[in-house]
Amino acid sequence: MQLIESKTLGSAQASIEFTNIPQTFTDLYLVTSVRSAGASSTDNVRIQINGATSGHNSRVLYGTGSGVGSTSDSNTSNFPFIYSGGTNFTSNTFNNASAYFPNYSGSTTKSMSSDSVMENNGTEAFQSIQAGLFNSTDAISSIKIYFAAANIAQYSSASLYGITKGSDGTTTVS
Amino acid sequence: MPTPTYTPLANITLGSSASSVTFSNIPNTYRDLILITDIDITAQTNGYVMVRVNGDTGSNYTEVFMSSLGPTSQSNTRTFFYNDYGVDVTGRAIRIYQFMDYAVTDKHKTVLGRSSMGASANGAVTAAAFRWASTSAITSIAFTRNAGNFNSGSTFALYGVIA
Repeated sequence: MQLIESKTLGSAQASIEFTNIPQTFTDLYLVTSVRSAGASSTDNVRIQINGATSGHNSRVLYGTGSGVGSTSDSNTSNFPFIYSGGTNFTSNTFNNASAYFPNYSGSTTKSMSSDSVMENNGTEAFQSIQAGLFNSTDAISSIKIYFAAANIAQYSSASLYGITKGSDGTTTVS
Repeated sequence: MPTPTYTPLANITLGSSASSVTFSNIPNTYRDLILITDIDITAQTNGYVMVRVNGDTGSNYTEVFMSSLGPTSQSNTRTFFYNDYGVDVTGRAIRIYQFMDYAVTDKHKTVLGRSSMGASANGAVTAAAFRWASTSAITSIAFTRNAGNFNSGSTFALYGVIA
């Protein structure tokens, strides 16, 4: 696993974006620690692939701290990534998530598997797992992380890693 | 200089449809194994992917999982690892397996599984925990289906994680 790029916000920004992603790896792994700069209640962090405003499909399983549920989206402009609280949630706590994109540079549709947890010293604290399908055969060249209704708070960070398949010369597969 | 955490062991991209994929001669020199698959299938009635280790076909595989299909949670004992609840849908789906302490011989083997089929029609996301009731080191991992094949273009990649 090799670090491609890591970003930490020195001030609140509308998004964190990785562009010109090199096409030299097999898979991508994204890790984030983010918080909303907004004053509203729970907001959703989103992932957008290649700036596409459609083609993102998702399935989500979540727990709220007092219940469970599932949602799905079809052909939208983004994947849901993290349920995140705003400035009304416990201060200095950031929400954590990771997303895996296999075969991101290939010529098939692109899948995503992700996990996320909202941090809050209270009953309401979302955990979720997500399945995503980007219905495009284009290679993933950019990933944008943003909130639906607010800026991303100062000190939020995101790191993108590349993973390369290979062989050790001993293990066989057929 | 940081050391890569995933050491590639073997991989395959199917050039044509296949009924099975098997990793063999897995060395015992790592702490954990990570197996990442991006499998393209054509859905079958009550179809699913079966994963077995060391050729064991006995009722030695236990599971507990939760799925967005429902949503639901279940626990079962089977003759294979089952990571497919709601995921055996035509198209590509990610199935990830983490085999913890796979090479030790003093404990049963714990495996974490994730499957992600993002198509909004009938897709699902599932998380599972498995136990293989054997103290043997894992030396092979085999993928098959109870019906149908793995389509051309499916990928399987195995990595070792150093302690």
